[in-house]
Amino acid sequence: MTTIDVGDGENARDGLMTLVVTVVELLIEALEREAVRRMESGDLADEEIERLGEQLATIEAELEELKSDEGIDDGVDDLRGDLDGLVRDAIEQLEGGHSEHKRPGYSVFGGEDE
Amino acid sequence: MSREQVGSGVNSQEERHAAIESDSLPDIEEGRYLYCAVRVTEDDSRDENLRNGDALDLETGGVDGEPVSVISVDDIGVVCHECDGLYDSDDLAQVKRWLVRHQTVVDRAGEMFGTPVPFQFDTIIRTDDEGVREWLRSEYDTLEPTLRELAGHWEYRIEVVETDPLEEQRLLEEDEQLADLRERIDDSGSGTAHLLEKQYEQRLKQLRADRRERIEADLRARIEDRVREIHALERSPNATLEDGSGDSTEASVDSGETLCRFTVLAHEDDETAVGSVLDDVASNPGFAVKFTGPWPPYTFAPELGGNDG
Repeated sequence: MTTIDVGDGENARDGLMTLVVTVVELLIEALEREAVRRMESGDLADEEIERLGEQLATIEAELEELKSDEGIDDGVDDLRGDLDGLVRDAIEQLEGGHSEHKRPGYSVFGGEDE
Repeated sequence: MSREQVGSGVNSQEERHAAIESDSLPDIEEGRYLYCAVRVTEDDSRDENLRNGDALDLETGGVDGEPVSVISVDDIGVVCHECDGLYDSDDLAQVKRWLVRHQTVVDRAGEMFGTPVPFQFDTIIRTDDEGVREWLRSEYDTLEPTLRELAGHWEYRIEVVETDPLEEQRLLEEDEQLADLRERIDDSGSGTAHLLEKQYEQRLKQLRADRRERIEADLRARIEDRVREIHALERSPNATLEDGSGDSTEASVDSGETLCRFTVLAHEDDETAVGSVLDDVASNPGFAVKFTGPWPPYTFAPELGGNDG
């Protein structure tokens, strides 16, 4: 089971900050993808696109500043990597065990009753 | 003989989890730890050296230093040692040493008898020598043809690595959509440009992924005719046993992004042909190819002792 460890004591604040920033970053990326989709579909007027872009750019810039002020750039990258792995594992489990041979385990043949 | 399989790698996940979670590892008392099945000749089976494993020339023995022997029935045999428990430890270094010994024994058996059918680490049959013979007789119809068909075939692993990522400039020249986005970015207000930049990045990522898929499909098509079986593997391996790979012809590729990984079952006579296809790929600027083997056909061994208990 993969867990997210935010640490304890002094580290807890950094850990929690990393977690929150990572989640916000992922959220903004999702918003940006949606904004791009709407821009391309022609649903938005030019002024709306410009305003939406400005807002997202501002949030992104502030988030970058926060990351560098807090010194959690690497932490956020690591956590994102972990989350990617988590999602990949989940997808693989859904797809079913095509990687059986790679799993460690043991085999015992023969019963006690012989 | 009745057989049950407890929590093995070839069994269902649920059963294995149940076995591990209940923390009740099976008692063995008298058992034989199995390394691999091999083809032996009749002369071999009469050979005293072979029966007690001396012919395998294993100075430091098998897993945990145990003396290894070969038990045979007609023209098939298993390489094994006597054991009274599972090999299980929380000490990763210890487990790694065991795994390396397991692999060494299988490698040595391959040199001695030709392509073996390797067993997974910690495969134990709960019985004595005679019981192993009985088991061999009962699995003869699976093992004999498998060994015959695998003869001369080995597993090879292929990894294509991109050492110099394709430059953005080249993609920009080749892809109209990307060039168009770049132009629009330059003509837009900062907010719109920000969104267009995001779209540009998405397109760039897509183009790189497409290219990776193209290379993978191309390579697969070119080696398919030269190998018996081919499997795509995950792009990043989750474990390696580098120091156990005595026979590998591994090129050192330290940096770069892995584009694709394959494992193939090929006849030893076709090794050079596969190698030359890979040479072609590696001759592309910015590419390197890792080609390792021959390995015992771990990925291509059949399932044994399933639910026929």
